[in-house]
Amino acid sequence: MSPRPRLDHVRRPELLQAAATVIRRRGLVNARVTDVAEVAGTSAPSVLYYFSSKAELLSEALTFAEERFYEQLAARIDGIESAVERLAVIVEWGAAGGDYDAALWMELWAQALRDEQLAETRAELDARWRRTIAEVVSYGQERGEFGPADPERFAVLMGSLLDGLSVQIALRDAEVTPSRVRDLAVTLAERELGCTLPATVETPA
Amino acid sequence: MSDRPERGARERILAAAVDRIASDGIDDMRIARVATQAGVSTSLVHYHFETREALLAEALEYSYELTGDVRIGEGEGEAADRFEQLAGLIDQFLPYPGHLQKDWILYVELWLRAVRHPEMRPTGVRLYGRMREWVAEGIAAGIGDGSFKAGADPVRVADRLIALADGYGVRVLIGDLEIEQARREVWAGLTGELGLSEEPPPPLGEQRPPAAAATHP
Repeated sequence: MSPRPRLDHVRRPELLQAAATVIRRRGLVNARVTDVAEVAGTSAPSVLYYFSSKAELLSEALTFAEERFYEQLAARIDGIESAVERLAVIVEWGAAGGDYDAALWMELWAQALRDEQLAETRAELDARWRRTIAEVVSYGQERGEFGPADPERFAVLMGSLLDGLSVQIALRDAEVTPSRVRDLAVTLAERELGCTLPATVETPA
Repeated sequence: MSDRPERGARERILAAAVDRIASDGIDDMRIARVATQAGVSTSLVHYHFETREALLAEALEYSYELTGDVRIGEGEGEAADRFEQLAGLIDQFLPYPGHLQKDWILYVELWLRAVRHPEMRPTGVRLYGRMREWVAEGIAAGIGDGSFKAGADPVRVADRLIALADGYGVRVLIGDLEIEQARREVWAGLTGELGLSEEPPPPLGEQRPPAAAATHP
């Protein structure tokens, strides 16, 4: 990327947020630079000043949205000492909190099947999610709160369960309420890690 | 998909649309390509389906009804016991090469569609409802005859099986995991609750699933 003026830091986040809004509304394939410009209150040439292509803009918008999720989650977890409570927060955010960006998440998975650049973005973000879970497991094992289990393997297990359930949440299936999702995830965690998760944790704002 | 002559133009168009969605994605499906593949004119497509949206919605509905029909009830006949039957159930939910893989790509498209278009959600909810019922019945039968641990809740186990298969399945589809690994992991996710052995029984026959390709029109 060529050097850009300091102004970058002011505009890029706004544009990325606008792009995320457009993707949610219209889908990745139909998202146009002019739509992003309109939502951000600027012009298409200004958008293209910051991003060399539409593909770059969209890929970064998806990463940006996911990163905010991880930053908020990390900030929340870092303030908690007990590993079971940390895990309960992850389950809660993955089950209900994660839903807030279900549209972007699904765009990413669907488009990653056809687009190499997005496939890489998807792989990085998924690895980050799994790492977040695995780190809590290792942390809990060091503290003697969790039994023996392979943290990486558990992370894929829990990540897969939550991803699968988020599909049904996204369908607004009346049978699949957030409390049922939470219950399914908690049961699996308790069984695999030999622990008891606290009954309630603060839900994400 | 074999083209049978008695199939009407409408059904041929739907089948072609399903194929195009699987290859190109829902947002890139073009009416002209659907018409070519179905061997009809674009005006005939427009005659049967007023808008592109209407064609998309009906094509997905068509595909999901078929998916449900194919999955539900398949692969149980040859199972020697409840464990093979359960493993067979899991196999029906994973993206094995061939038809299940294509269904899977459509699955992902439906998820995507359902998020942005609420009118598509009932199709998905119906499909998941049927799958849940089907899996829960299999689990309940195994608990009933003592093959699986007493006290397990069949619906909850079904929910877990389907969610795990979706989560692992999408990772197989995208190339993160081998399908055999996904199969073992979904099984492992059920072992504690149902009192199963550590490893699933081997897949039935050489090609899993044997009947799906034959029954899909």
